[in-house]
Amino acid sequence: MKWNKPPRPTDENSLPSTAYPAPPKDTTRLEKGFGLEKSANRLPIASEATVNSHMWNLLWSHKRGFLWVAILQLLTTSAALIPPRAFGGLLEELKNRPDATQVKNTVYIVIAALLLQSIFVYFTKVRASILGEFVLSALRERFVTRVIELPPNVVERAGAGELLTRTTTDIDHITWAVRDAVPVITICLVSIFGISTAIALTAPLFLAAVFIGIPFVFAATRWYLRRSPQAYRVESSSYAIVNSVLVETAESGRTIDALRLGEQRINRTDASISRWVEWERYTLRLRSRWFPVVEINYILPVSAALMMGAYFYNRDMASIATITAGILYAQMLAGPIEAMLWWIDELQTGKASLSRLLGIHEVEDREIREGAPAGRDIAGEKVRYGYRSGKDVLKDISFMIEPGTKLAIVGPSGAGKSTLGRLLAGVQPPNQGRITVGGAEIGYMPIEKARTEVALVTQEHHVFVGTLRDNITLAKPDATDEEVWQALRAVDAEPWAKELEKGLETVVGSGGVRLLPAQAQQLALSRLVLADPHTLILDEATSLLDQQAAKHLEASLGAVLAGRTVIAIAHRLQTAHDADLIAVIEDGVISEWGSHDQLLKANGAYAKLWSSWRDEI
Amino acid sequence: MSATPFDHIPVANPGIPDLRSVPRFLWWIGVKQRKIVLMGTFFGIINLLCVALMPGILGRGIQAIADENSAELQAAVLGALVIGVVQAAAGILRHRRAVGSWISAATRLQQLVSRKAVNLGADLPRLVSTGEVSAINSNDVERVARVYDLIPRLGGAVVSFLVVSILLINSSPTLGLLVIIGVPLLGLAIGPIIKPLQNRESSQREKLSESSGLAADTVAGLRILRGIGGEETFLKRFQLASQNVRAAAVRTAKMRALLDGLQVILPGSLVVGVIWVGGNLVSRGDLKVGELLAFYGYSAFLMIPLQILTESAQRITSGVVAAKRVMKLLQVENLQQHGDLNFPNDFDELTDLKSGLFISRNQFIGVVCDNSLTADELVDRLGGYLDSEQVNVDLQPLSSIARDQIRAHIYAQEKEPAILSGTISTLFNVENTGRVSLEEAIEAASAADILDSLEGDGYHAEVVERGRTLSGGQRQRLALARTIFVDAPIVVLDDPTSAVDAHTEARIAARLKQIRGKQTTVVFTTSPLLLDHTDKVFLITEGKVAAVGNHFELLKQNDNYKRLVVRGE
Repeated sequence: MKWNKPPRPTDENSLPSTAYPAPPKDTTRLEKGFGLEKSANRLPIASEATVNSHMWNLLWSHKRGFLWVAILQLLTTSAALIPPRAFGGLLEELKNRPDATQVKNTVYIVIAALLLQSIFVYFTKVRASILGEFVLSALRERFVTRVIELPPNVVERAGAGELLTRTTTDIDHITWAVRDAVPVITICLVSIFGISTAIALTAPLFLAAVFIGIPFVFAATRWYLRRSPQAYRVESSSYAIVNSVLVETAESGRTIDALRLGEQRINRTDASISRWVEWERYTLRLRSRWFPVVEINYILPVSAALMMGAYFYNRDMASIATITAGILYAQMLAGPIEAMLWWIDELQTGKASLSRLLGIHEVEDREIREGAPAGRDIAGEKVRYGYRSGKDVLKDISFMIEPGTKLAIVGPSGAGKSTLGRLLAGVQPPNQGRITVGGAEIGYMPIEKARTEVALVTQEHHVFVGTLRDNITLAKPDATDEEVWQALRAVDAEPWAKELEKGLETVVGSGGVRLLPAQAQQLALSRLVLADPHTLILDEATSLLDQQAAKHLEASLGAVLAGRTVIAIAHRLQTAHDADLIAVIEDGVISEWGSHDQLLKANGAYAKLWSSWRDEI
Repeated sequence: MSATPFDHIPVANPGIPDLRSVPRFLWWIGVKQRKIVLMGTFFGIINLLCVALMPGILGRGIQAIADENSAELQAAVLGALVIGVVQAAAGILRHRRAVGSWISAATRLQQLVSRKAVNLGADLPRLVSTGEVSAINSNDVERVARVYDLIPRLGGAVVSFLVVSILLINSSPTLGLLVIIGVPLLGLAIGPIIKPLQNRESSQREKLSESSGLAADTVAGLRILRGIGGEETFLKRFQLASQNVRAAAVRTAKMRALLDGLQVILPGSLVVGVIWVGGNLVSRGDLKVGELLAFYGYSAFLMIPLQILTESAQRITSGVVAAKRVMKLLQVENLQQHGDLNFPNDFDELTDLKSGLFISRNQFIGVVCDNSLTADELVDRLGGYLDSEQVNVDLQPLSSIARDQIRAHIYAQEKEPAILSGTISTLFNVENTGRVSLEEAIEAASAADILDSLEGDGYHAEVVERGRTLSGGQRQRLALARTIFVDAPIVVLDDPTSAVDAHTEARIAARLKQIRGKQTTVVFTTSPLLLDHTDKVFLITEGKVAAVGNHFELLKQNDNYKRLVVRGE
């Protein structure tokens, strides 16, 4: 093996933009907050203090379980302490007066102690894992509960990938840490306590020998823990990035294949692996300094005990029995200390993931304001909205929509139609001005309330893993078969749904029966039928269907939509033609407002669009 | 100390894995990283030997104390110190190589999985769920790799066991034989519970992957859940799955606790044997007190190799289960087989035998389908993604042509092409003929306004996560611009303007025709704006060509066509 071969550099150009910078080449401490700024514009990461206090709360709320584990472990350790003591006594006896009966007695004691120890071990381990699994399931369920409560605008901004990584990889890492580290550390602490007590009782003089290295261990561990948590956090995030690159590759298989981007994707995977490995090297450098100090310091006490034993024996201050037990205890101590330090280290990875999980809890909640809607009319007053300051997408829009109106919003791409749709559905409030439903601001209503008033369907679709029924009855889990079929009929999906082998119980989604984009869009609309809000916003909701199917679907939907306010954002002018009112949005303002005939007479932008659309036939 | 034993990781080429069987696969990985594994094993042996020798030294020390022999005592103390230091040094050296071993194996497997994913390409979503790929990459890869971080310790365990056995036999054949026969027997005694433990572990893992799959799926559809409702249902479903994981984990833990209990009692019985036999030897004067202490220490030490052996058995078997899953993914075969012929440069016609559709060279062709599913299928066939033995290039089946050749000649744009994360300019970092400039392509797809709406010059603006921050129409136009930029000799487009407004659609239609010029272009659409610019239109009903002609002729002559295409009243 060649030494000092320089590491292969990471191909910076192939790295995904989410990648972290390279770690220091030595063991230099990272700057405070390193790696945190990366996700500042996405989802928050909990601070060290939050993580610590949360861990503490977690332990405290399971104090009973911990107490059980601690008591059982104390019993285990006590049983384990008997054989060395008995054996030391035997050596003492044999040295003074060789006699076989003494051997027999010692053997009985040791057998009894071993039986007890193994029974206690069994119960300690069972209790510890029941506790660990309980904490773990509480943690992941609490996390997912929080995730599905996230304000919709946060979900949109953060994107599924980031949330996905936290839901899968980070929970996995915590699984390792909680399932093993927490119980093991508890067990080790109790063992160390028990053994130290035993030494203090049998050979108090040896305590000094045993704890001679503690200051060094303490200093080294402090040095280490100042560097490692941050490093482990970046390391585990970098590991997560490797996976997200692969998931994107898997999801976009067709496009990558078509564009022959395979090599690029492979380079990207390799580069992100390389960056992760660089961080693994950094943390290994940290451990390479910390481990030896710790290890030397639990090996030394044994020799120290031997020396002290000789000293005390010569002065008749200790018997062979005491010295033997002392040395054996000093040796026994090494196990739990080593295990504990090892698991503290493992816990760092868990803590890094925990800080990402807990970050979710720091997302600001949706601002809720008082006021229940009185009525169904929708109004906008001087609405202004921009995703970035200085670049307003909507500029000063005011309007009034009476209940039952069919409004079509048309206009060139990028004029702000979809943005207006999101604001109307209350995904978030406008920067300035108000959008109200029955006089109450929809952007400040609890989301569960807002969606019973207004529902938004976009062309984005997702088929959930589950039965066809599960996929439709989102808003009404107790819907009857007949209601579900009605909903399917209303969106023209009945024919293909009937053809599915198990009907409504057919499992669809990833791993199940694959639905086509057009079918998925029909599903999205059928969900809406059951949700039954008084106002619907359809943002290109039929764009994935072909012309003919869309026409037919709109006709079938007609029955369902009767009596409701419908705001359709569409590029098909057919939709506009059929609407009661048309709003033309250009460059962030409503440039025209009126019925189809009125706008044709006005001979403005809409009239031009209409004629260009009709002309070519 | 800044160099690490895995500075060369990741390797440039992960190689071709031996997938004939799990042992061969694991062996192949091991051989690929043999240096680091062997060095690690070397230090692992040194490290455990030091631990093994300690009881002998302590025994001599105690004997020296009893005999009041200070020279012997000094030697023992010095020996204990030296061995301690060597043990610590070998310990860290082993750790560095053990970490290197698992990282080396993990990265190689990740590289293999990503290369397989790329190779499966368009077939991948049809064959394996994304969640499965992700689970294999994050979970199973790690499990397989952990086997290699075990090897150094395993090596140390085996060698130190042999050395201690020899030491024991030399000083007391009776005791030595007791230990040497005893330890393997104890290992065998643990055997029967390893298998049920593994069964429970694998059922636990299945439940875990089910629950994380559910969580991932829920998160992916979160926007919809927040918009319509149903969070409760999905949360309950996840909680149920999570509780199932918990129950399975506790079941596994009980089995493992049993193993832990056995690991106390079984080696303990050996200690008892040593005390019994050794105590009697001492009382008869055949053994010294210090030697008995050493024997006690040795038999206690033997628990370490025994524990390493049982841990190895567990890890290796869970590694084997994981290796099977990784291998299953690596063994997936492409759905569409491809030959190795070149694409004929001077072809005259691309014919779909199933529908009767024929694409003549250098024409701008429109295809109107009565059903969008038929259109999607046809696009896949023409692009060589599915059933391409039913498509002929002149008289040669498309399936006999090499995949890369097909991709280089036919670009079949699916209905919703993926926008990969990165900046706008990386979006266009694709193989292209160079005939169409980036600006021209963006202009032709009427996508210039998208760049204007982004930060800076637009090209360096980040497209977050598959273009979620863009509207459907914006994504569609960017994808079209990319297709135009690639400039394949044959371009097949599946409803490329479905999410674009009429004004823009008209502009795109004219520019697309102009920029494609005399090159073969096939557009599946029902938009008259696009059809208006075609040389020839096929009407396909119920999967078969029903009529062929010019757009205006068909409009006049074919009621069916008119019904599909005409808008308005």
